[in-house]
Order: sequence, then structure tokens, then C-alpha cells
Amino acid sequence: MTITAVDINTVVADKVIDARGTACPGPLLEAKKGMATVALGGVVEIWSTDPVTKTDIAAWSGKVGHEFLGAVPADGYDRVFVIKRK
Amino acid sequence: MAEHQKLVILATHGTEDPERATIPFVMGTAALASDVDVVIGLQGNGVWLGRKLEAEHVFAPGFPPLAKLMTDFLELGGKLLICSPCIQSRQLSGEDDLVDGVEIVAAARFVAEVTSATSSLTY
Repeated sequence: MTITAVDINTVVADKVIDARGTACPGPLLEAKKGMATVALGGVVEIWSTDPVTKTDIAAWSGKVGHEFLGAVPADGYDRVFVIKRK
Repeated sequence: MAEHQKLVILATHGTEDPERATIPFVMGTAALASDVDVVIGLQGNGVWLGRKLEAEHVFAPGFPPLAKLMTDFLELGGKLLICSPCIQSRQLSGEDDLVDGVEIVAAARFVAEVTSATSSLTY
């Protein structure tokens, strides 16, 4: 099943990380820490005001073996979703 | 099984160039977060970054403070090496002057680290 942006809006994360206001690589490091707090299959949601976080987290997810779900814009920041797969 | 990866970064700039002093630790922490082993080697003016409290004064626009990045780097398991002749020529007398976690080494160790790495970067 393909997950669309509309579907992402319905996802309830197991862990929400507020990395707004932090610069690269802050959101990535927070995501890494957050992954350690959820079970396999759990969803981590990262909030970031850095517009490149969504592409950076996508690249990181592919590198380390997590599943990048996508990102949706919120009020001045992005909500980025990743499923823990390892 | 994925190939074991190791990145060596040689940092050759200190407080005189905050951006080039900071980027090695940006790349290093990102690589550690990506399950890559990382060694950062401080050489030339880069050795100033290994002096206690020096990083507290390094701020590059657009990046986190260097002191925070260095703390993150060591906490994530990064290895920090510093060039022995470079610290001697700058009269950094030894471990008492240096940040905790840094290891004083010479050329052969740098060669061993670089030749055993899967990738290397120099800043």
C-alpha cells in the first residue's frame, strides 16, 4: 500500500521529537536518539524548522535501514515520519 | 551483511576559520548517527580545537556551536586524534592542556587510520 500525504496526517507517532530551532545535524541526532526509545515497527515523528531535514532524514533512513514515511508541513515547520525497522 | 564502514576526517582549521573548524564535527556526528565508525584527526591549526575550552569560542553561522558538536561526537563513540608534532610546535604541552578523550598520535597512526578507512575527508 502506498502511503500518501493524507495518510501521514492520520499517523499517530509513538515518539514525537521537537527539534525545531536546531541546525544540522541537530534534528538527525535527535532522531537517532528517539529511535532508541521505540520498539521495532514504532513510528518516530520529528518536528523541524530546517527545510532540508526531511530529505536528510530520508537519506539517513535509507542508509541505516529504517523506513521513511514522508513529511507534512505544519505551522512554520515540517513533521517528518520514520518507522523503526532495525 | 552490510560492509563495515569507517570514515576518517582530517581537520586542519581552528578558530581562524570557524566554518571549516565546525564542518568536520557536523559530518562526523552525522556519520556516527548513520552507523559509520568515525575518526577525526586534528592536524595543523586544527589542533587548537583539541585545547580545553577552545571550542567554546567557535561559532559558525548556520551550525550548532562547536562545543556541543564535539561533545556529541565523543558521546556517540567518535575517536579524536591529535597530531603530536603539531601540538609541540604550538606549545600545547600535553594531555593537561587537551580536552578529555583526545589521543596524542604521530604520523604512522594517522596513516594506519586513513588506510584502514572506507572513506576519508580533509577540511
